[in-house]
Amino acid sequence: MPTASIITHSLTKLYGSLTALDSFDLEVDQGSIFGMLGPNGAGKTTLIRILTTLMRQSSGDASIEGLDTLRSGREIRCMIGVVSQENSLDRYLTARENLELHARLHGMDKRLYKQRIDELLELMGLAGRQKDFPDTFSGGMQRRLVIARALVHQPRVLFLDEPTTGLDPQSRRVVWEYVRSMAGSMTIFLTTHYLEEAEQLCDRIAIMDHGRLIAIGSTQELKDRLSGATVYEIEFAGQEADRYTTLLGSMPCVVNIRRLGGKVTVTLECWECLSEIVTALNGAPVRRISLQERTLEDVFISLTGDKVRE
Amino acid sequence: MLRGSLAIWQRDMLVLRRNMVSELVAVVAYPLTIYLAFGIGMQGYIGLVEGVPYSLFIAPGLITMTAVSAAYNESVWSLWFHRRVQFTVESYRVTPITVSEIVIAKILTGFTHGIIKGCAVGLVIFAITPFRFPLEHLLHYLLFLIPGSAFFSCAGVISGTIMDKPETIGKVEAVLVMPLIFMSGLFFPLSSYPQSVIFWVRLLPTTALFEGARKALVAGDMMTLSVLQVLLSALLTFAASVYIFRFKMSE
Repeated sequence: MPTASIITHSLTKLYGSLTALDSFDLEVDQGSIFGMLGPNGAGKTTLIRILTTLMRQSSGDASIEGLDTLRSGREIRCMIGVVSQENSLDRYLTARENLELHARLHGMDKRLYKQRIDELLELMGLAGRQKDFPDTFSGGMQRRLVIARALVHQPRVLFLDEPTTGLDPQSRRVVWEYVRSMAGSMTIFLTTHYLEEAEQLCDRIAIMDHGRLIAIGSTQELKDRLSGATVYEIEFAGQEADRYTTLLGSMPCVVNIRRLGGKVTVTLECWECLSEIVTALNGAPVRRISLQERTLEDVFISLTGDKVRE
Repeated sequence: MLRGSLAIWQRDMLVLRRNMVSELVAVVAYPLTIYLAFGIGMQGYIGLVEGVPYSLFIAPGLITMTAVSAAYNESVWSLWFHRRVQFTVESYRVTPITVSEIVIAKILTGFTHGIIKGCAVGLVIFAITPFRFPLEHLLHYLLFLIPGSAFFSCAGVISGTIMDKPETIGKVEAVLVMPLIFMSGLFFPLSSYPQSVIFWVRLLPTTALFEGARKALVAGDMMTLSVLQVLLSALLTFAASVYIFRFKMSE
């Protein structure tokens, strides 16, 4: 059974009358890639700042690899790597110097960090640009350099706070590859707004809102949490769609129905209702019936609502 | 304990080395212009001040002004930039070093900038003007310049820590820092002030610094009380800057 790398218990953070984290309980398994989703202002950044010892909680406990964040800040910072939302690269240092400074701040021996930096620059595809300044890099290259910097001291836990925000799809996929390649060797705690990113990368995903944990599980487990309703798309040949829309719409097991041209989308109470639909459509000119896959976005919206957060 | 401070200070020195020529040209141009305009240009009209030609009277103050302004400016802008624009302070804070190590590094950097730039202006004034002084005067002068630069570097760190907007930094410099420097006997003797004001002006650490530094360099006078006043001010601002930075980072 895997042991927990990150644990929070009743973690609460108050900013005056605002509750940013509200009795937050969480366990993240060692060596896993864990995704934290939530709308703007949900408390993700506050959580990361507490876990990375940048901020003190108002009450509750948090620990990384068994060490308490309040009592063992220095020891925790020795074993974590952080890729923050902001581009915090030093634009007056070359790519290599950025990594060297970070290694020195971690108290690494020069011979040790020289070799490590060579490896990381090679791994991130930046070896040829190591003497260049980050300002001359593309967004994707800068992001890779920030990740390399967070890995210099070989952390046991890596925090990635929206690591691909602002990157084009190609660069995003390159970053995903690097994150995947690190899976198993360290615990990765990822926050993101890109649900596809969480779905692609994470072993487990948590959704938080208003400082509270509202759902946790694998992507499939989260999708299964949605009500039993299933959605099918039925494509009709010819001009029959209108007539069958009225027929299907009158059936008690149909929760919702929509027609667009020759395609009718029906939401059924449960998947067992499909047999009633098939019976009703006996002899109808049906070209295709397909199950509409529920996405993580459906889960996210159903749990956090569809109102825009400022 | 200060491993982190050393690493950050060395980073700052690397950046300074890369930009040394442009930094020095910029920093030397301003006091040199003042020296040529006032010291040389006005010398014939002003004559002797406290027994020395006006160009000699203002030279130590200009060197001191360059050093302390450079220390203040480097600290305030560097800290603000690294905290608010480049977010490098944040990246330092997720390493095992302490917040105190970060602020001490920034104080050291401002101080070093001050000393280097003050020396550069001193050398230029020495090279192109007849301003001369015995070597032992220089040692006395350094007793003011070193804590004076440290004092201004710490003051810069405090400003760079508490001010989040660049325009506020500019306003504080215009309303507080430059008047403190200019009204501390840089261009005129303190005896020019009304008698009732002199006592209060003397309480200012900048007055002790500029008056003491001038008397040390020009006449070799060792004003021990003034040295202690500057030293005490430097120590107090150091403690305040570390405390304020730590407090700000804990918010």
